[in-house]
Amino acid sequence: MFRLNFKIALRNLWKNKGYTLINVGGLAIGLASCMILLLYVGYKWSYDKQFSNYEKTYVVYNNAFTSAKLETWIWTPGLMAREIKEKVPGIAYASRSTFPEQRLISHGQQRFKSAAIFADAAFLKILDFKMIRGNRDKVLQELNSVVLTEGMAKRLFGMEDPINKMVKFENTEVLKVEAVIADVPGNSSVQFDYLLPWALLEKQNQIIRNSNWGMNFCLTLVQLKDNRFFGSVNQQLKGIYKRNEQGSNSEAFMHPLSKWHLYSTFENGVSVGGKIDQIRIFFILAFCILLIACVNFMNLSTARSEKRAKEVGVRKAIGSSRKSLISQFMLESVLLSFLGMLVAFVLMEISLPYFNGLLHTTLVIEYQNWKFWSVLLSLTFFTGFIAGSYPAFYLSSFEPVKVLKGFNIAVNSSLSVRKVLVVFQFVFAACLMVCTAVIYQQLNYIKDKPVGYNKAGLMEVPLQGVLLKDPAKMQLLKERLLKTGAVTEVTFFSKGMNEEGDATFGVEWAGKKPKEDVLFNYRSSGYDFVKTIGTSVLAGREFSAQFNDSAKVLINEAAVKLMGFRQPIGASLKLWGKSFTIIGVIKDFVMASPYQRAAPMVVYYDMGIMTSAVARLNPAQNVSSSVQKIDEVFKSFNPDFPVDRKFVDEVFKQKFDDEQLLGTLANWFGGFAIFISCLGLLGLALFTAEQRKKEIGIRKVLGASTANILALLNKDFIKLVLIANLIACPLAYVVVYKWLSAYEFRVSISVLPFAIAIFLSLIIALITVTAQSVRVVKSNPVDALKYE
Amino acid sequence: MIELKNIEKYYANKGVKSYILRHVSTSIKQGEFVSIMGPSGAGKSTLLNILGMLEEPTYGAYEFMGEDVVSLNERKRIELYRNHIGFVFQAYHLIDEMTVAENIEAPLLYKKVSSAERKSRVADVLDRFNMVAKKDLFPNQLSGGQQQLVGIARALVAQPSIILADEPTGNLQSPQALQIMELFKKLNEEENITIIQVTHSEVNAAYGSRILHLLDGVIKEDLSLQQVI
Repeated sequence: MFRLNFKIALRNLWKNKGYTLINVGGLAIGLASCMILLLYVGYKWSYDKQFSNYEKTYVVYNNAFTSAKLETWIWTPGLMAREIKEKVPGIAYASRSTFPEQRLISHGQQRFKSAAIFADAAFLKILDFKMIRGNRDKVLQELNSVVLTEGMAKRLFGMEDPINKMVKFENTEVLKVEAVIADVPGNSSVQFDYLLPWALLEKQNQIIRNSNWGMNFCLTLVQLKDNRFFGSVNQQLKGIYKRNEQGSNSEAFMHPLSKWHLYSTFENGVSVGGKIDQIRIFFILAFCILLIACVNFMNLSTARSEKRAKEVGVRKAIGSSRKSLISQFMLESVLLSFLGMLVAFVLMEISLPYFNGLLHTTLVIEYQNWKFWSVLLSLTFFTGFIAGSYPAFYLSSFEPVKVLKGFNIAVNSSLSVRKVLVVFQFVFAACLMVCTAVIYQQLNYIKDKPVGYNKAGLMEVPLQGVLLKDPAKMQLLKERLLKTGAVTEVTFFSKGMNEEGDATFGVEWAGKKPKEDVLFNYRSSGYDFVKTIGTSVLAGREFSAQFNDSAKVLINEAAVKLMGFRQPIGASLKLWGKSFTIIGVIKDFVMASPYQRAAPMVVYYDMGIMTSAVARLNPAQNVSSSVQKIDEVFKSFNPDFPVDRKFVDEVFKQKFDDEQLLGTLANWFGGFAIFISCLGLLGLALFTAEQRKKEIGIRKVLGASTANILALLNKDFIKLVLIANLIACPLAYVVVYKWLSAYEFRVSISVLPFAIAIFLSLIIALITVTAQSVRVVKSNPVDALKYE
Repeated sequence: MIELKNIEKYYANKGVKSYILRHVSTSIKQGEFVSIMGPSGAGKSTLLNILGMLEEPTYGAYEFMGEDVVSLNERKRIELYRNHIGFVFQAYHLIDEMTVAENIEAPLLYKKVSSAERKSRVADVLDRFNMVAKKDLFPNQLSGGQQQLVGIARALVAQPSIILADEPTGNLQSPQALQIMELFKKLNEEENITIIQVTHSEVNAAYGSRILHLLDGVIKEDLSLQQVI
């Protein structure tokens, strides 16, 4: 029985190659989209789960209560890890580490700026990356030692054995390679190329050596002996700040390592999601696309039901039960979805490299992984069942007498279901179109929104080696750069132009309410800062060599507004207890998120903490030759360091990565959804045209033109698409409204995206239907009529 | 074998009942060869469909081999006709996607006959109908007469006790029609299979042993052919 049904299913598919192609194609695209999205979702889901005790591992967060609101940070004091390990029961390991920074590491002529982390010995016990060489129990304890990842070791040493060889860090410290660990996988939240002992950081940095409980700067990881200690440990952590520092406004708490990546947004000290929202969107998208492909199949099968009806009638007349008919149709659809899956494989293999580039991931089809196969198989069966369910029940319900007598099945009921399905497809497609359009509008809006300074043609180069903390050398650098003619202005800044961080509660001013804690960004800038970056001074002046500016500050508009100064120039404020005079007010400009208002900022003058040189390129000069000249100047100071220059506007663009990704994905998968829907429409149009062959013939004989008949055939479909749009528009409005409301700066929702969606879907439907029916319409009416 | 009592069939359309069959009562014994005749619209096919359990009467009692068909549930009914009834249609109604052999085999599949037995029965029937050479052809590769032969072979393979034929020769030319009727007669006489056919043709009806004349849903005449002769 099964074999015969199988054979017949194959013959059926072969006989109707066109429909098979449409069905398999649609299912293949649907399945491939679904699988790629699921791979991505799975990849995101697997974040930080590669460690053997990840379930018992927690990241310590810091809830800081300010008068304005409760802020949650991942930065914790350097003293915390030891305190936890020693005083809190139930702890297996506690480690502190810095956040990765690009630092110079070299071996002979091999010099790289790679991600470095300073960490305790416990760090590698908690995050147990595979040890390729060396002893896990002995690493990161000696002052002059380093642990390399495999990739880093290869780059530095090539095929040589790196163990016990020497490398140079920042061109000053000589370190012995103690161990080599496996490369950090892409789905780890902690990313680094080499690890350095904490002791080295303390040796280099006096502030950190003497740091107290008020300085939050490192990542604290905790591994419990058992998860039953979670409650008690968390209770202990809550008061840990207050026990160690009088008047602290912070509380620490633990967040599971496995949730670090996906649930990283906190509101009022409670996790409220994060990337998980995006993952959910992708998950829903994956299944909707698959569903659309299934709907195609349902539509075409039921549309073709009249052809199958006779077979159903005969089978029933010779003794088939309904159950066996249902199983036969199910078999056909499962077979079809298997064929679709085969094609989907090809599609996936072709498109994965592209998506990997897009998503910054390393997704691969793991052919040896049973999980992959089980997901794949269940997805295929699921698709087959969903797609086959309606046709199977519908077709098997035919009464043999009626269908065998000749045709008059009540087409109306099935037709309305078919219409509903087409409408459903187009609702989804139109929604996606609207969303895509709005995402792009928002992106463009934010990109074009003035950032408060002129970021084009602005270059920043990190200060390193001899240039660090040496005002005389910096001055020399500035002079030499200007002399080349490649740049017109040069200044220095204590952070990258697009970097967040360096914020403090330590600003006081006259009229500040006693319990008011406000977070200020603090920066330090060199002379000519305003001129170089192309912003403006609203009042007063900027730092200049003509004055002694060591006790002067600039503030931005936001700060003026917050402090409520009528006459800010000449007023004074206290930063960390030291008194400063305000000499200028500068325009707000974007450093952190372009979606939010600029935070209040104080800028003081301290050449000792500058980290980058900012230069405006000479617009009259060729960029590549200018860049070369600039490189030469930097090399003359630091021959051993790569220059590592960046264009400010390119760094700025990275702030949109998430939205850009969402836009691109919505574009792609929206395109797929539309394409699959069109395939369905195509098949349906073809079918209708053939079904109405006789009617068309008669109409033509009566004198209808081709255009008349095309209009007739198109009318029904256009109606459906219009209804779909009618449903889709409010739906899409709700979705984009919700999405946009997360942004402080956002486009207002206009008619345009909706118009685009309606127009596009109508045009696409029109073209599809016309292209499909024109062949039938143009045929000679005599051919259609003579068989009657 | 078959007892019909007061069978009625009507369709209600906007309160108006349009009758197809009225007060049809008859009984058919094992081994009879009955022809149902009458003009178009007389209700012949409906009667045949009711006999074949493809349709239910609106009213009346139908006993098939002592069982009350009307009160049977669907599963039992399917069971009953799987085992006892073979259908032959005017338009042959072979399944286009199946070969001749597969078409013949299909009813056996539904009866859950074992594979070996199926093979031997199909081979047997093919042999009997001289169609061994055509067993791998598809229906559209056969002539009408051959297709109808396959149709009959398919009805016979399940070894039914009764064959219901709805104008079996309606689409055929007369030499082929004759051949089919001869076949029916032979089956009836040699294997004692009850045959009920709907026909327009007096010639075809003459092959049978009994004629039911239907007019406007009412049995007008019930002739035994021996009487006629």
